[in-house]
Amino acid sequence: MDLLTNLVLGFSIALTPFNLLMAVLGVIVGTLIGALPGIGPTSGVALLLPLTFGMSPTSGIIMLAAIYYGSMYGGTITSVLINTPGESASVVTCIDGYQMALQGRAGPALGVATIGSFIAGSLGVVLLMLMSPTLARWSLSFGPPEEFALMLLGLTTVTGLTGTNALKGYMSMVFGLMLAMAGFDIVSGRPRYTGGVTEMLDGFDFLPVAIGLFGMGEVLAGAEQAIDTRILRGRYGFRDCLPSTADWMRSRWAMLRGSVLGFFIGILPGAGATIASFLSYTVEKKVSRHPEEFGHGAIEGVAGPESANNAASAGAMVPLLTLGIPGSGTTAVLLGGLMMWGLRPGPLLFEKNPDFVWGLIASMYIGNVLLVILNIGFIPLFVRALRVPYSILMPLIIVFCITGAYSLNNKVWDVGQMLVFGVLGYAMKKLDYSPAALTLALVLGPLAERALRQSMIISDDGLGIFVLRPISAVLVALALAAVAVPVVRGARGAMARRRGLAAS
Amino acid sequence: MRRTDQMTGLVVFAGAVAFSATAWRQYAYWGENGPGPGFLPLWLGVAMAGLAALLFAGATRSRAVGAPWLPRGAGRRRLLAVLLATALFVALLDVVGMIFGTALFLAAILRLVERHAWPTALGVAAGAAAVNYLVFTYWLRVPFPVGVLGF
Repeated sequence: MDLLTNLVLGFSIALTPFNLLMAVLGVIVGTLIGALPGIGPTSGVALLLPLTFGMSPTSGIIMLAAIYYGSMYGGTITSVLINTPGESASVVTCIDGYQMALQGRAGPALGVATIGSFIAGSLGVVLLMLMSPTLARWSLSFGPPEEFALMLLGLTTVTGLTGTNALKGYMSMVFGLMLAMAGFDIVSGRPRYTGGVTEMLDGFDFLPVAIGLFGMGEVLAGAEQAIDTRILRGRYGFRDCLPSTADWMRSRWAMLRGSVLGFFIGILPGAGATIASFLSYTVEKKVSRHPEEFGHGAIEGVAGPESANNAASAGAMVPLLTLGIPGSGTTAVLLGGLMMWGLRPGPLLFEKNPDFVWGLIASMYIGNVLLVILNIGFIPLFVRALRVPYSILMPLIIVFCITGAYSLNNKVWDVGQMLVFGVLGYAMKKLDYSPAALTLALVLGPLAERALRQSMIISDDGLGIFVLRPISAVLVALALAAVAVPVVRGARGAMARRRGLAAS
Repeated sequence: MRRTDQMTGLVVFAGAVAFSATAWRQYAYWGENGPGPGFLPLWLGVAMAGLAALLFAGATRSRAVGAPWLPRGAGRRRLLAVLLATALFVALLDVVGMIFGTALFLAAILRLVERHAWPTALGVAAGAAAVNYLVFTYWLRVPFPVGVLGF
C-alpha cells in the first residue's frame, strides 16, 4: 500500500509540534483575515508569504495552506453578517446568507457553512489524494478551447443568479469584461484603454473593484436609510449557531453536491472556487423543490456554495502540485512561494519531495478538523463582536474598505478606484444590476480572452474549434442553454401577461 | 426607474460605441496568426450596444413609471454626507496620513452625521485608529501614508 505509507509519512511530518502550531496559527489568522472585508485569501497569503521564508518549505506551505482555507471560511462570516464578501468565492454566499441574517438566522447560516466547509474540505483532501495523478492527466488534455468554453459557462450561469432582470445581468457581465480589457494586452503586450494614465497599465485590480462594489456599495445603501440593526438582534448563543434538524435535512445533499462539484471545478486550470460556488448555487436553485425561496434566505444557497468553494480550494491544489498550473489567484501566489523555496511543482514533485507533498496533504486533514473546532467555538464570538450599532459599524467598514484597498499595492490610486466603484455598486444595487456578474467577468476576463485568442490561433476553422472538440462543444452548449433559459422564460412571461391583458 | 433606464440605455449605448470605435481605430483587429488586441473589445462593445438598445426599447415601451430610486430628504443628506466625508478622506490621505485620518474621519461621521455623544465618537475613533495601526502598520507592515503629522 503505497498510499498508506505515504500518508503515514505525511502525518508523521504534519504532527510535529512546530508544524501543528503553524497549522493552528494559519487557521486562526486566515479566518480573521478572511473576515475582514476586502482582505481575502489571495492578499492574505501574499501579505503573510514573507513571514514563512525563515521556515522550512514544508512548515511554510502548511501555514500558507491553512491561511488559505481558513480565510475561505472567514470570508463567509462577513458575507452573512454584513453582506460584504471577503473574497470573490463568497460573493454568492451573500445572496441567501445575508437574507438569513436579516431574518435573525445568521447563526444557522454560519453553522451550516462551517459544517459544509468541513465535509467538503475533508472530502476534497481525500479526492486530492486518491485522484490527483488521474485528474492531472485529464486536465492536461484540456486545451485553450475547453478552458474558454468552461469560462463561458461560468459567466453565463451568473446571469441566472441575478434573478429579477436578466438583461441587466448580461449588461453587468459585459461591462465587467470591458473593464477587464483595460491594461496590458496579455498576448501582444500592448496597453489598451489606459487613457494615458500610468496606474491603468495594470488594468483594474479585482480587489479594489470588489471592495468598492460590495463593501462600499452596501455601506452607501445603508447610509441613506435610518439606522438599521435588524441583523444584530436575535440569539447567537452556541446552540443557536447549530443548524436545526430541518436545516440539516435541507442542506445535507446540497453540501455533498457542492463538495463534489467544487472539487472537480477546482482542479480545472483557470477555474476555481468562485466558479464552483456560482455553479453550485445555480445547481441548488435548479434542483430545489422551492426555488422561489432562493434569494430570500434559502439555507441550501449557503450550504452548497460554501461547500463548493472549500472543496475547490482542495481541488485547486491538484493542478498546482501535479502540473504547476495554479487553479486560482491564491494558488498562483502559493506557486510563487514554492518557486522561491526552490521547489519546482510538477509530476516530479511527488517523487522528489514526498515529505513536502504528503506533509501538506496530511496537514490539510488536520487543518479541516481544527477549522471546525475553532469555528463552532468562534461563531458566537464573531457575532457578538459585530453586535455593534450600524451607525458605528458603517464608518468602520468604510475605514476597512479604504485600508483594504490601499494595502493591496500601497497606492492611494486603488483607494480612489474603490470609492468610484463604491458609488457604482450603490447605483447598481438600487437599479437591479448585478455587481456579482461584473466582478466575476472582471476576474475571468483576461483568462477568457487569452484562451479565446489561443484557441483561434490554433484553429483552422475560426470559431468552429469550440464546437468541433467534444468537451468544449458540450460546455458551449450548456453555456448557450444558460443564456436561452431566462430569455425564453421572459418571453413566455410577457406573452402570458399580454394574454391576461387581452382577456381582461 | 423608467426614465433612469432610458437614460442609462442611451449613455451606455454611446459608451459602447466609443469603446468599439477605439478598439477598431487603435488596436489591431487581426494579428499575424489570430485575433489581435482589438478583436474582443470590438465585439464586447457591439454586444453592449445591443443590450443597451434593448434596455432603452424596453423602458420606452414599459408603461410603469416606477418609484424614484434616489433617496430624498434626510436619507439623501446622510448619503451625501457620508460620501463627501469618504471622498475627502481619500483625497487628503497623503496629507493627513492613514492613522490620523482614520481617527478624524470616524470622529466626524460619528459626531456630526450619526449624532453620537462626544465620548462615544472619540472613543471609537481612537480605538479604531489604534487597531488600524497595530494590525496594518505594526503587524502587516503596510506602509501607510503618514501625512504631515507623522502618523
